[in-house]
Amino acid sequence: MSSTAGIVGAGVLGRMMAVELNARGWAVSLYDRDTEKGEDSCSWTGAGMIAPYCELEAAEQIVTELGVYSKDKWPGWLERLAEPVFYKSLGSLVVAHPNDRDELLRLRRRVLENAPRPDIMEDVGIDRIRELEPELAERFRSGLYFPFEEHLDNRDLMRALGETIRRKDIEWNCGTEVTAVESNAVVIGDTRHTFDWVLDCRGLGAQPDLPHLRGVRGELLYLHAPEVNLSRPVRLMHPRYSIYIVPRAGHVYVVGATAIESDNRGPITVRSALELLSAAYTVHTGFAEATLIESSVNCRPGFPDNLPRILPDQGLIRINGLYRHGFLIAPALVDIVCEFIDEGSTHPLAEGIMDAWQL
Amino acid sequence: MGSALYPSPDVMRDAIEAAGAELVTVALRRQSPQQASGSRFWELIRELNVRVLPNTAGCRTVKEAVATAQMARELFETNWIKLEVIGDDYTLQPDTAALVEAADILIKEGFEVLPYTTEDLITAQKLIDAGCRVVMPWGSYIGSGRGLVNKFALQTLRARLPDATLIVDAGLGKPSEAAHAMELGFDAVLVNSAIALSADPPTMAEAFANAVEAGRAGYEAGLMSPRDMASPSTPTLGTPFWHAGT
Repeated sequence: MSSTAGIVGAGVLGRMMAVELNARGWAVSLYDRDTEKGEDSCSWTGAGMIAPYCELEAAEQIVTELGVYSKDKWPGWLERLAEPVFYKSLGSLVVAHPNDRDELLRLRRRVLENAPRPDIMEDVGIDRIRELEPELAERFRSGLYFPFEEHLDNRDLMRALGETIRRKDIEWNCGTEVTAVESNAVVIGDTRHTFDWVLDCRGLGAQPDLPHLRGVRGELLYLHAPEVNLSRPVRLMHPRYSIYIVPRAGHVYVVGATAIESDNRGPITVRSALELLSAAYTVHTGFAEATLIESSVNCRPGFPDNLPRILPDQGLIRINGLYRHGFLIAPALVDIVCEFIDEGSTHPLAEGIMDAWQL
Repeated sequence: MGSALYPSPDVMRDAIEAAGAELVTVALRRQSPQQASGSRFWELIRELNVRVLPNTAGCRTVKEAVATAQMARELFETNWIKLEVIGDDYTLQPDTAALVEAADILIKEGFEVLPYTTEDLITAQKLIDAGCRVVMPWGSYIGSGRGLVNKFALQTLRARLPDATLIVDAGLGKPSEAAHAMELGFDAVLVNSAIALSADPPTMAEAFANAVEAGRAGYEAGLMSPRDMASPSTPTLGTPFWHAGT
């Protein structure tokens, strides 16, 4: 008889867990209070950058390791899905205005200190910028290029994962408010659904069970900018208003993101919108004629060290604290968890995120 | 110490503990204080057993600053407030006229106001006249790490305001600059970026703490006056009458 899994939370992680365990022959039930589209999920709001090396600026080494591992897994993942996903492997470009050159140098120094290999970052001058992003060459004369980074459309991915789940033999319970997540059981109202393993992928929804978890508010904007032609994520370094601009299909750009220590999920503030838009405009004046098609706000789930955690218990495994790194590290977390519950073995990358935390 | 820009709350905690800081500033303007939705982060700071000093960072007018201070008093149950009224967005230079006005209002409402100001003596004097017991002049622009740009004016502040508590707030980039401020007779320094953005914040925090101790001890011991020429500690027996040669 096949093993059974109850997965609670259908963000990117919950969905990928469902697909992977199903492929491994498990009987999977997926629960979420959200719709199939998943607009309430953090995964809906993310920008979908797969940028482990840029993240060396602020993130711990372990996040980079998980990210580098995951990076190689994404193409295989996308092939498995029922629908195509916008995914580009073009690297990312980091720039700063002349006044803020120190910010660029700080990033450069930090990355060099922690770089696993020297070729992950390239100093670029005006000629190389013109090659990479012709429309930025007039404005920026120096920058940093990270050739081995990718970006994907997170909403495409959510939809494609959803479609894949629906075509498989996976029981998907949308719009279902889970009362409690327990060892071997998902409780809904008075009913206990029992499983060999319960996977808690609720993100901030797990806060009652994980009191150290906090929300870090992120706001971003969707712009439709026919006059702007950027092919890869561009980060602007600034002492206060650092932003990224991530291209989507059809001249749509995601501009983000704020990071505010707050679990408020209310609409974007004017101040944040002004900061994001002003910064985007200084990168490319073509954004002046763009239309603002959407603002998106959610709170990243973070533990006090901003590192992800896999917390195994009897018949229950909680995966949380993906913070701003959901798309960056999800494939690695899926492999670590599946090797643990399906094969009973400890993945080499589990060290530091699976053991360090004691409930 | 300031509580912004750290890689994570855990690193912030380690840094604050390593420094032995007694006052930790918290900005609340952007955290939707109306709904107390930054509360998890604030709890983390409260758990450190330090005195929380809410600040009005990001406020641009007297009205905003006063409203933010009032909210902070309710949320943090303290009447202490670090008062910032920003006049220029890029440099974050304080609007000193609005600062004095806001300080006056808040002191009348019973606040203990710690104003972030420039090195200007007259502004400092007006803040004291309004009832501030602490004045916090900048060393240089916030986050610039340029140290004490106008050392001479800071020295004047110390000499002319002997009874005020003076804290250098903003601009310190290196531990030696903190020592320098303390040698000038300042009572404390407020540091954030220099620690939070370093590669190893707890170690940098400790370095700043040591520098503060050293600078203060130097001030208390009495610094020697600089001389214009070399003055050997031992008589230069081998070169008699060397003055004659010059």
